[in-house]
Amino acid sequence: MIGYILSIEQKEAIQGVFFATDIFFNCIQDINDVWFLFLSEQDKEILPQEYLYLLDLPQGEYIPKPSPPFPR
Amino acid sequence: MILASHGIIASSISGVDADWLAYYNRVIAAGGSLTTTEQNATKQLVADLKANSLWTPMKAIYPMVGASAAACAQNLKSSSFTGSFSSGWTYASTGVFTSSGFMNTNIRPSEMSQNSIHFGFYNRNSATGTYKMGVYVTTPIFKGCYLRGTNATNDNLVNGSDDSGLFQRSNGMVVANRTDSLDKMVFNNGIKSSRASLSLSPVDNFTFYLNGINAAGSSSNTGTAEYCFSTIGDGLTDTEASNYYTAVQAFQTTLSRQV
Repeated sequence: MIGYILSIEQKEAIQGVFFATDIFFNCIQDINDVWFLFLSEQDKEILPQEYLYLLDLPQGEYIPKPSPPFPR
Repeated sequence: MILASHGIIASSISGVDADWLAYYNRVIAAGGSLTTTEQNATKQLVADLKANSLWTPMKAIYPMVGASAAACAQNLKSSSFTGSFSSGWTYASTGVFTSSGFMNTNIRPSEMSQNSIHFGFYNRNSATGTYKMGVYVTTPIFKGCYLRGTNATNDNLVNGSDDSGLFQRSNGMVVANRTDSLDKMVFNNGIKSSRASLSLSPVDNFTFYLNGINAAGSSSNTGTAEYCFSTIGDGLTDTEASNYYTAVQAFQTTLSRQV
């Protein structure tokens, strides 16, 4: 799965921020603790001007972290 | 009555269910829209739920129609608990699809009571291995509500703390349920399985996520799935759960997205 790669500062700037009434940014860490952002084509179509820079970020292959052990 | 360019916004229209009309107006007000087929399907769903005494137990019903975040975020039951989506979702007539996102339902388990609660979804994608819906906390003790299914492992909690899971389908309608302090149950397409599980007080500080899980405030274990319905509310009797599946399956069939 290919996603946009973010620095920690870039992640901090957008995490949880609503870019539409019902949609907010959610960044995810990969297996190497690199932050990734995934945007659907529909997300890209409605992205406000101020966030268009995200579409120019480098992209890379996202490898998820292994599922954590059962939390008990 | 106001006739808007994108639909009819009205406080009442003769012959139209007031609860459905309120839902429709919320969709329009949010910037969404519904096709005629989607309007008729949701009207019939409301009628079927009311005819089977299923309207009252519901706190949140997300029909996932309208092919937009604005429409899919709306709660059919009331203006409370409007959902919100993370980035990474695709919205279509078949439902909402993602490989990485989650939906915050904005409803806490404590909106229901310790021994009367249900939550679930209708999933069109048979991907496995992830939490599909839920919330848990680890302090002061581990407890929560969730549905997690894989081919080899099924974990589910319903205001509980044990991890001995009940089988859950990888697609179709899956509803976790509790109606007493001693047992939990899972309805797969309306068919019940149950096992002993002592209840604990419901989580009161975090909300249900759809796709993945709300792990004490953080999204975790999101996976690939396409949802076309989700429900949260009070506990259901066996008959109510069976009737609920029948109504939802008819709804999905009308929309040509049943599995």
